[in-house]
Amino acid sequence: MESLRFLEIRELAQRSGLDFFDVIFEVVPQDIMSEIAAYGLPTRARHWSYGKVYIRQRVHGQMGLSKIYEIVLNNDPGYAFLLDTNSEVANLLVAAHVYGHSDFFKQNVYFSPTNRNMVNVAVEHALRIDEYIDRYGLDRVERLMDIAFAIDRHIDVHKGLVRKPYPTRQVVERERRTQTYADIFGEEDFALTKVVVGDTIPPHPEKDLLWFLVQYAPIEPWERDVLEIIREESYYFHPQFETKILNEGWATYWHAEILHQYAKLSPSETIDFGVLHAGVVNPGHPMSVNPYYLGYRMLVDVERRTDQLYKAGKSAISGREKLFEIRTQENDISFLQNYLTQELVEELGLFAYGHACEHGPQGQKRCQKCGELTIQSRRLEDVVYSLVAPRYNYGAPRIVIANVNDGSLWLEHEPTDLGPLDLKYAEKTLEYLHELWKRPVRLKTFNGQRETTALTYSASGMQIGK
Amino acid sequence: MTEVPWDLRRRALKDSIRHDKRVKEAIRQNLKELIAEENIITAEGKKLVKIPLRYLDQYRFRFGEMGSGTGQGKGHVGEVIARDGERNEGSEQPGDQPGEQVYEAEIAVEELAHMMLEDLALPWLEDKEAQQITTHTYDFDDVRRKGSMAHLDKKRTLLENLKRHAAHKEPKVGAFRDADLRFKVWSAHEEYHSNAAVYLLMDRSGSMTTEKKYIAKSFFFWLVRFLRLKYQTVDMLFIAHDTEAQVVPEQDFFTISNNGGTMCSSAYRIALEHIQQTHPHARWNNYVFHFSDGDNWHDDNSHCRALVTQLLDHTTMVGYGEIRYQDEASFYGGAHAYNSSWSTLHQELSTIPHQRFMTVAIKQKADVYQALQTFLARNEAGGVSSGLVNVALRTG
Repeated sequence: MESLRFLEIRELAQRSGLDFFDVIFEVVPQDIMSEIAAYGLPTRARHWSYGKVYIRQRVHGQMGLSKIYEIVLNNDPGYAFLLDTNSEVANLLVAAHVYGHSDFFKQNVYFSPTNRNMVNVAVEHALRIDEYIDRYGLDRVERLMDIAFAIDRHIDVHKGLVRKPYPTRQVVERERRTQTYADIFGEEDFALTKVVVGDTIPPHPEKDLLWFLVQYAPIEPWERDVLEIIREESYYFHPQFETKILNEGWATYWHAEILHQYAKLSPSETIDFGVLHAGVVNPGHPMSVNPYYLGYRMLVDVERRTDQLYKAGKSAISGREKLFEIRTQENDISFLQNYLTQELVEELGLFAYGHACEHGPQGQKRCQKCGELTIQSRRLEDVVYSLVAPRYNYGAPRIVIANVNDGSLWLEHEPTDLGPLDLKYAEKTLEYLHELWKRPVRLKTFNGQRETTALTYSASGMQIGK
Repeated sequence: MTEVPWDLRRRALKDSIRHDKRVKEAIRQNLKELIAEENIITAEGKKLVKIPLRYLDQYRFRFGEMGSGTGQGKGHVGEVIARDGERNEGSEQPGDQPGEQVYEAEIAVEELAHMMLEDLALPWLEDKEAQQITTHTYDFDDVRRKGSMAHLDKKRTLLENLKRHAAHKEPKVGAFRDADLRFKVWSAHEEYHSNAAVYLLMDRSGSMTTEKKYIAKSFFFWLVRFLRLKYQTVDMLFIAHDTEAQVVPEQDFFTISNNGGTMCSSAYRIALEHIQQTHPHARWNNYVFHFSDGDNWHDDNSHCRALVTQLLDHTTMVGYGEIRYQDEASFYGGAHAYNSSWSTLHQELSTIPHQRFMTVAIKQKADVYQALQTFLARNEAGGVSSGLVNVALRTG
């Protein structure tokens, strides 16, 4: 590997305005690549589910079905792993791609709360879990981790990872305006009222299920620690979930841009680069859109449109400046909603698909159309909806802890158009919660006919009621 | 650019072994559903089968089947682009939508058969006086100082080594000498086997639809597997019938097509004749298993009753399985499995008051497992509990 060329790529990236962490590159064999991809971090608390992903990843890699050229971690310094069989031009492309990601990690606002020392923190977590396995046995620790993983997407990004406990019960005096908006007219008049706070737990619907259980479930200190470990890692990975398209699009945009600028590729390397780039931005399966491709095409499209406006004097900033603004401010949901256009939907041939039957996928009724997926729409708003729907709320249904009633835990599933819960999965998850809470757990949700139902899990199993 | 000695940090291998273990557990817990899994039954000759494992998912709150998404390419609005189950083929995008991937576990057919069948036995098996045949089995039952390294008894060798060092007041393991080595030694035992013959009777009339026949065949498939696995050799006779019965070779039995009306008595008659000629009850444990949908000629029912009663005098057990379901939806585990009354044939047969006449109803796929459990429950005849049955295998 000629590290001179690497430095030149790095310099080009910096000169283009990318602002990234220092990146440490490591060359690893395919097995290790599969392993890091499965765990998401080089060393992480062990769990059988990573073994499942690893085996699949490795088999795919060995059969040449999918090849992971690179993995880069959101960390300061960043770590990037290159496959030891990469050609040099592949590594140059990957380096440029990695700088794009690292810039995104550092500059995108959704990543600002993440722990930039996660690589080390995760090792610490792994050691603690190993210790618990030694002390309490693999079965117990694994079971607890199963439970924690079942609810680790129910976090509250607005409240954040580190939180104060709820206020304890007390009476506080609050100033209150006697008339709303009176201050506008300069006639402010305050009244003192006494308010009881901390009277109920939770004081407001609680989104962060693991946090609540860590605070209030009757469990042992080591069990709290296991839940905290998984909760912390879940917060760390959340921004990567919500910026998949934009982040990959950004990194792809930059590897293309930088390697186009890089004058020192030989003709055959230029062709190799073209082949590799085409592989990255292949549209994907007819029924699932490649995020690299979609993100890249959208960014190129926005840049072109903004440049046109800029030339016509209708935009204060150039296309490139616009892209930097987007990488700082947007996540996938806002990016898709703000910047996907009907023209691009048509150019890329995007469509929203779904079941064709009128009675919906739920319920006992079956018809011939039930098993068929049809193209539902090619209109912009429908395509955007189909893209953003699975990206809300960490991809999980919105479920909050509403209150604790006579010792039982009451959860509520907030109705959305995404339909009812998978009942079997809900039952298993409630069983998990019951195991931690040790008293009945109730979930208010709705069925396929949008009628309210209550699933209650107690020592005798699950009951479905109104 | 650095290279790290990665092998020192491997965790994934441990976790994948752990995952394998959970897969086996999951299979064990789901034998009921797997038993009629088509790719196992049709695995003919293959050593490994793939089992779709929907149940090794990690549970979490998730939406029911959404079935929607974003795609790309040609096609007008309303055009069918896929049917359920085809969606993920060729898709390499990992988990944007939770729970869509079906994991396929690979497992050896033999291992699966062991799991399925380990608790089963031919009930009421008796030692018959005549024709007891001796076979030899081999057990490791002694330990010596000399032997083949292939038979090294590692645990004892370690202990001897430790003891030797301890005798020198230095308890440790290592520095092995020949004197430490211990070898397992086998010796031959004579085992006595009772004779058994199993008669497999299947209705192949027109009313036995492909699905019904599939059920009967999956029962027989496991029965044959079970007999071969647990008993060194058993006489098996395959009889297919519509209005007439005939003895067929094993391979034909499993590929048989259907037509004609139904007279179950024909099969019972052939079985009875065969038993009387070849497998007299005094010397043989005879078992008869019959699967039908019970859609029999009405006149024939009383004949059946008489023949089964007679058969019971010559056999250790008669099992009758009736396949009853209305349509495929309920059969494949729909919410309301069809619940019809028994057929007239069954009503007639069920008047036979005999402990060793058993019936089962199969309403859905998972019931095949129940049928095996019922027919092959460990019921032991008084005082006799020989585990093995002998006899040369013969088909038709």
